[in-house]
Amino acid sequence: MNKNSTFFVLVNGIIKENPVLVLVLGTCPTLATTNTVNGAFGMGIAALAVLLCSNVFISLLRKIIPETMRIPSYIVIIAGFVTIVKLLVQAFLPNLYATLGVYLDLITVNCIILGRAEMFANKNPVLKSALDGLGMGLGFTVALCAMAVIREVFGAASFAGVPISFMENFKIEFLTKAPGGLLVYGLLIALVYVLTKGKAPAKTSFSCAGCPNASHCHVETCSEKGAEE
Amino acid sequence: MKKSIRNIAVFVCICGVITLLLAGTNLITAPIIQKNQNNAANAALLEVMPEGTGFEALDMGGYSLPATVTEVHKETAGKGYVIKLTTAGYGSDMVIMCGVSADGVVTGAVCLSSNETLGKEKTYGENFMDKDANGVEAVDTIAGATKTTDAYKNAVKDALNTAIILGGGTVDIRTEEEILADNLAAALPAGDKKFTKLFLVEVVEGVDAIYVADNGAGYVCVVGEQFVGVDAQGALVTEGVADAAVITDAVAKIKATTYKEIDVTAYSDLAAYVLSAKKTASGNYVVETKGAGYGIKGGDEYHPASNEYIVVRVSMTADGKILDCVTVSQAETDGLGDACASESFYGQFVGKTASDYAEIDAISGATLTTNGYKQAVQRAFDAVNVLKGGDR
Repeated sequence: MNKNSTFFVLVNGIIKENPVLVLVLGTCPTLATTNTVNGAFGMGIAALAVLLCSNVFISLLRKIIPETMRIPSYIVIIAGFVTIVKLLVQAFLPNLYATLGVYLDLITVNCIILGRAEMFANKNPVLKSALDGLGMGLGFTVALCAMAVIREVFGAASFAGVPISFMENFKIEFLTKAPGGLLVYGLLIALVYVLTKGKAPAKTSFSCAGCPNASHCHVETCSEKGAEE
Repeated sequence: MKKSIRNIAVFVCICGVITLLLAGTNLITAPIIQKNQNNAANAALLEVMPEGTGFEALDMGGYSLPATVTEVHKETAGKGYVIKLTTAGYGSDMVIMCGVSADGVVTGAVCLSSNETLGKEKTYGENFMDKDANGVEAVDTIAGATKTTDAYKNAVKDALNTAIILGGGTVDIRTEEEILADNLAAALPAGDKKFTKLFLVEVVEGVDAIYVADNGAGYVCVVGEQFVGVDAQGALVTEGVADAAVITDAVAKIKATTYKEIDVTAYSDLAAYVLSAKKTASGNYVVETKGAGYGIKGGDEYHPASNEYIVVRVSMTADGKILDCVTVSQAETDGLGDACASESFYGQFVGKTASDYAEIDAISGATLTTNGYKQAVQRAFDAVNVLKGGDR
């Protein structure tokens, strides 16, 4: 598959560079909101919306935003879109707003969003950036939902709040707690590794060269460190 | 420099655009969010006033409301009020929401938050549905959760009183203790608002209770609803008393009382449970006895670590009629058996004899305490019988 094709950019974030299961980013909301499918789906869609909007906006302004002011600018843009999404969720989905609580605000500091802004949107045209945001957002949502399905079905004997009566006697409540979330998270990462036969970019060493984001990263020191390995 | 200014200008522009986007979103969502919040707030209010159509928060500044009231919401169609109250329960504060209709009937009561041990407050509010002030008074407290349910009941009464006050009526929102203190102070201003109830050791016909001023300024006699002040010399302070002689005689009798201490150790069969005994010049007895309550699990073994018996002081005539009774000490369970230290319990023994003292109302959920108390009172009867030379 041509790495520069728009389709590749879209699916890249869903599978090969899944932000949660491959890049291991956004761990905090992942663990916090995946004890229910509804919460995980809501968080995924909210993050997707912010990613899409911020990527498009940053890509549009990539030639205007000064190099030295780029991080503050990204933070302002991301925080603005997070607030917009928050207001919309609060107005039109009050139940989801109550479920997500503080984690909705914390999307501002979600490293997936800032990471894509810094690594992709400020170097690529609007369409590609939008597809990258969409792909990464979908990847984030899919990963969260997969985790949430396991945790809710096996941990709480329900799916999206609907009780599964025959599972009631077999539920493992541990899965709904934070340690259970970490366990499921680890197992899913392992599963993705096995399914991709290790071809997914994995951290092979503690160096910049082993970083799955190395291909996008143009920081000089990073290249130098990579060369040393 | 030029570059810096350009950077700042770009950053300001980005901030401006984001601000405009936020303002636009806020313009659309603010009324919807406000409506959602009102609906959520109304949902809690509607729970206790299902007939309500809309509510508005009332400013309580202009009213003298019970101290437990924290919020008042008026039903916009005039159907009544929803009152939020915070009252002290057994474990911690309880927050109660109570709806009161325009005609003074409870439309619902729920406990919004609490930390009570037994959880009885969660459903107790159902008992007050459709009750007026008299109906609320008649609702029983729950055995074993007297403190919690009493506090709940008082909060509902406060809600009813609040509705009356807001409707332009007048209610005495003072507690019973405050009313008593005010009445005593009014009857004998020289008493400086500090009075102690006198433990009666004489027969004082026509007088229900006598309070003595802590500063020695005199006495206040309670006759029915009337409080009559008497100065230290025995002269009436209160004017317009119908039967002044009864009052002055009672006070003169109290002032003339003299005691003779009795050495209970001389009576081997009394020493085990009678702590002290006195005889008045008029032939009445005052004895302090102990009974085994829940503090020692109903047994009769003296606890080695502390005095956990219920100790009572009883005065009675030589023919065995109780003149007064008071709890001297007790170590019964907080919120349950410790009700034996309240006047509403021990006051029941006044006027009783050995044949009918057992008919008093027991303390709910504290059978061992009640039995221990009765044991102490029975021992007072026994002691007086022995001291006057009669049979036990």
